[in-house]
Amino acid sequence: MAVRILALVGDAYGARGGIARYNRDLFGALAASGAEILVLPRLGDAEGVALPAGVRQRPAIFGRLGFSLSALWQAWRYRPVDVVFCGHVFMAPLAVLVARLVGARYWLQAHGTDIWNDRRDHVRRAIEAADLLTTVSRGTRRRLLGWVDLAPERVRVLPNTVDERFAPGAPAKAVQQKLQAGPGPVLLTVGRLAASERYKGHELVFAALPALRERFPDLVHLVAGEGDDRARLEARALELAGPGAVKFLGFVPDQDLPDLYRLADLFVMPSSEEGFGIVYLEAAACGLRVIGGAGGGSSDAIPDRRVGDIVDPGDRDGLVAAVTRLLGEGRVDPAAIEPYRRPHFTAAASRLLARLVARPRRMRGAS
Amino acid sequence: MCGIAGIHAYLEVAPPVDRAELGRINDRMAARGPDGEGLWLADDGRTGFAHRRLAIIDLSDAGLQPMHSACGRYTITFNGEIYNYLELRRELADKGHVFRSGSDTEVLLHLFAEYGIEMVRRLRGMFAFGIWDATKRRLVLARDPLGIKPLYWADDGWTVRFASQAKALLAGGAVASDPDSAGIVGFHLFGSVPEPFTVWREIRALPAGATMVVDATGPHPAERFYDVAGALAERALRPGRGEPAAQLADAVRDSVRHHLVADVPVAVFLSAGLDSGALLGTMAGLGATATTAVTLAFAEFKGLPVDEAPLAAEVAGRYGARHVVRTVDRAEFESDLPAILDAMDLPTVDGINTWFVSKAAREAGVKVALSGLGADECFGGYPSFRDVPRSVHWLRPVSWIPGVGTLARRGLSAAIRAGLPLHPKAAGVLQYGGSWAGAYLLRRSVYMPWELEDLLSPDLLEEGLRRLAPLSHVAAVLQGARGLGDFDRVSVLETSLYMRNQLLRDADWAGMAQSVEIRVPFVDPFFLAALPAGPALARLNAKDAVAAVPDPPLPDTVRGRRKTGFVTPVGRWLREVSGPASSGMPDFSAASRGWALRVWQSGWTPPVAA
Repeated sequence: MAVRILALVGDAYGARGGIARYNRDLFGALAASGAEILVLPRLGDAEGVALPAGVRQRPAIFGRLGFSLSALWQAWRYRPVDVVFCGHVFMAPLAVLVARLVGARYWLQAHGTDIWNDRRDHVRRAIEAADLLTTVSRGTRRRLLGWVDLAPERVRVLPNTVDERFAPGAPAKAVQQKLQAGPGPVLLTVGRLAASERYKGHELVFAALPALRERFPDLVHLVAGEGDDRARLEARALELAGPGAVKFLGFVPDQDLPDLYRLADLFVMPSSEEGFGIVYLEAAACGLRVIGGAGGGSSDAIPDRRVGDIVDPGDRDGLVAAVTRLLGEGRVDPAAIEPYRRPHFTAAASRLLARLVARPRRMRGAS
Repeated sequence: MCGIAGIHAYLEVAPPVDRAELGRINDRMAARGPDGEGLWLADDGRTGFAHRRLAIIDLSDAGLQPMHSACGRYTITFNGEIYNYLELRRELADKGHVFRSGSDTEVLLHLFAEYGIEMVRRLRGMFAFGIWDATKRRLVLARDPLGIKPLYWADDGWTVRFASQAKALLAGGAVASDPDSAGIVGFHLFGSVPEPFTVWREIRALPAGATMVVDATGPHPAERFYDVAGALAERALRPGRGEPAAQLADAVRDSVRHHLVADVPVAVFLSAGLDSGALLGTMAGLGATATTAVTLAFAEFKGLPVDEAPLAAEVAGRYGARHVVRTVDRAEFESDLPAILDAMDLPTVDGINTWFVSKAAREAGVKVALSGLGADECFGGYPSFRDVPRSVHWLRPVSWIPGVGTLARRGLSAAIRAGLPLHPKAAGVLQYGGSWAGAYLLRRSVYMPWELEDLLSPDLLEEGLRRLAPLSHVAAVLQGARGLGDFDRVSVLETSLYMRNQLLRDADWAGMAQSVEIRVPFVDPFFLAALPAGPALARLNAKDAVAAVPDPPLPDTVRGRRKTGFVTPVGRWLREVSGPASSGMPDFSAASRGWALRVWQSGWTPPVAA
């Protein structure tokens, strides 16, 4: 009989953002290996979205109480439940309760910043109750094990996967004309411009531009992304790099991203707190060498020198040196990205599910 | 007897094994195996094993490791000795297995092919090994039942690494040295780091008597195949087999006979005590002639009654041994101290004597020596066999009244600080003395939990106490001890905690640092099972029975002397080296508190960021 999974998530289908995408990738992979999944989201509208066979999504309920009551009711109706999947630490206490109610195993997914800050006792206990805890990166796993008491073998890493659309190739003419980036070289950063995410390191790149433009007079820095910090960053770009060096593109729709990557020469985001940094992987999958920042999980998306380099997010000269060197090294070997492609992700996800359901249930359930 | 290491990149996104890292790990263990080294990388570069060799059985190159099965499916890196390997080899040969060498390592490969991981139950000996199964793509780690040989592992979520020494894993350069509060608090409480913790968060000990499988999803939880409480409970239920003293003598002879299997001469560490003398006498009875017996003497003790050398010489003479007496003085201790701290794999308050007696053995050309370690645990040689049960029986009613123990401890602690002439631990008698775990902690601890506030930062202490849960940690070894008598309960506690985390670990690093293999015939599940049940041992006065095992028995001078105990000046050197104890009080801890602090302050973990 198919493994039945009840998934409590912030968002999945019909929503934007990295975590929603990760959830979709994961559910797609688990469904492909034969699981049935009922998704209970707090955000997102899956109306009209084609879901993979075996996956259903209930309408979103944002309110905390409403979501909790609905989750308990849906769990009861969905019996027998083999696994309760929790997509965000915020909902972990609820997931523990639901899993106990229906006698299911409890799988918690941690992304990055979600588990770094909230260290209250009841959160810790809700994390420690997990039968399986997956993180997207080694860095997140290490930080998590630094303050929760979980046996290390119970915390597994399931890295992000990269979509087939991200592949090397020539950029579409239309995008080239629209952006008019000039002869280049072109540095690219893709990420939200939020005041709460200043760790992404835009300003360090701006500060490095004058030195870089001395060496490469036509070098430009394209900044894709939108957010409440944009006006401030635009002012900082002008101040640090001078006019014409940085071009803010605003929000770039998902379908245009591969061409944007293909048009650039180097992806630069010296972020200090990235949970994983799927953008590094997407850029590399399009053939771009990448520069990330030390700290957080970037080192998992940039595992070796075949893909790029990691710099100290406070070291401007180091960044200048890394950009200069990598611009001279050409495109990324596609073999370096192969392990992140979907077939490998699907295999890894289904292996983890098999390992989890091989464990006895935590308590006698209602099933 | 050797050093082993391995790296396995189990997740597809992980980079292949770095040969240079594996080399660095192996080099850190050079002293464990001066007779050779080997390094193997699988064709796909995802798995690599390393080995340092101290050749004891099959000295030829056929015994080199890592070793592969003839079919190429299995690869092993193995540290230890399998004493029943010839019996197992005969059994496997009858089943059609063909052997290429005379080594016990090859027997392990065939045994694994035949029985899978369950084969560990068949092994009599000390061992830690890793086996790679190329067909199932699984790494299997295993460690002997009582924890004689160490095995540490580290998993970063992509790649798993293992080695005989925790410091070797760090030397590889890819394992983080973040401190582990549980291990640090554990060291300050017990004087040794309680497994499975180390003082580094990313490095764990594979528990004694456990196996661990690593597949494409990473390491699975360790599975225990042996537990002391269960084994003694089983022994207690078995009907007696004849007269207890005779049964004990048979068990000792059988164990010593097994522990003599080697292709090099086997020596013995000889003190003036009963246990090592009984080993030498038994060896002689089994036909071992001109055995080398190594005795440690101290310059300060020359001519005093506490000098062990004259009595040891009498015993050596009685059994025809070649007696080597090695005198150590304080100057040598001080000049060796940096090397001792470097070789010490995890912080510990003991192991100095073993360092020097192993050093003496190496100088005398000895590669293998028997030690009486473990006799006190199985024969009831410690005061804890009397004190702990007495404390539990008398104080249990007090522990039923909530709050009394804590209140008494707070009051007494304050009084002791104000000058009441009692040892600081005495304040906890009412709070801890009424339970087995509490009474044992009180007996064995260097510091008690409430005293650590003065030594460790509040955050580290709180987290460490929560993660370690000292009383539950102690009580856990008694699970399965239901129905066991007092003697067996203390035996379980001492064997599973003090002997495993302190004595055996110290014997490993201190012996291995001198490239000397220490064999422990009293630490053997087959031996424990063959002994009479606990109550019979208690009635028998097992120590007297041990003295009577050899023929002729140990001289009366040795049998009469034992009340004075084992005295060395090492404790005094340690105290002097580490400065005056902070309390200025007489010290009845297992070891000097000042020395514990000195060891800890020699620098184990990077300073914690503010």
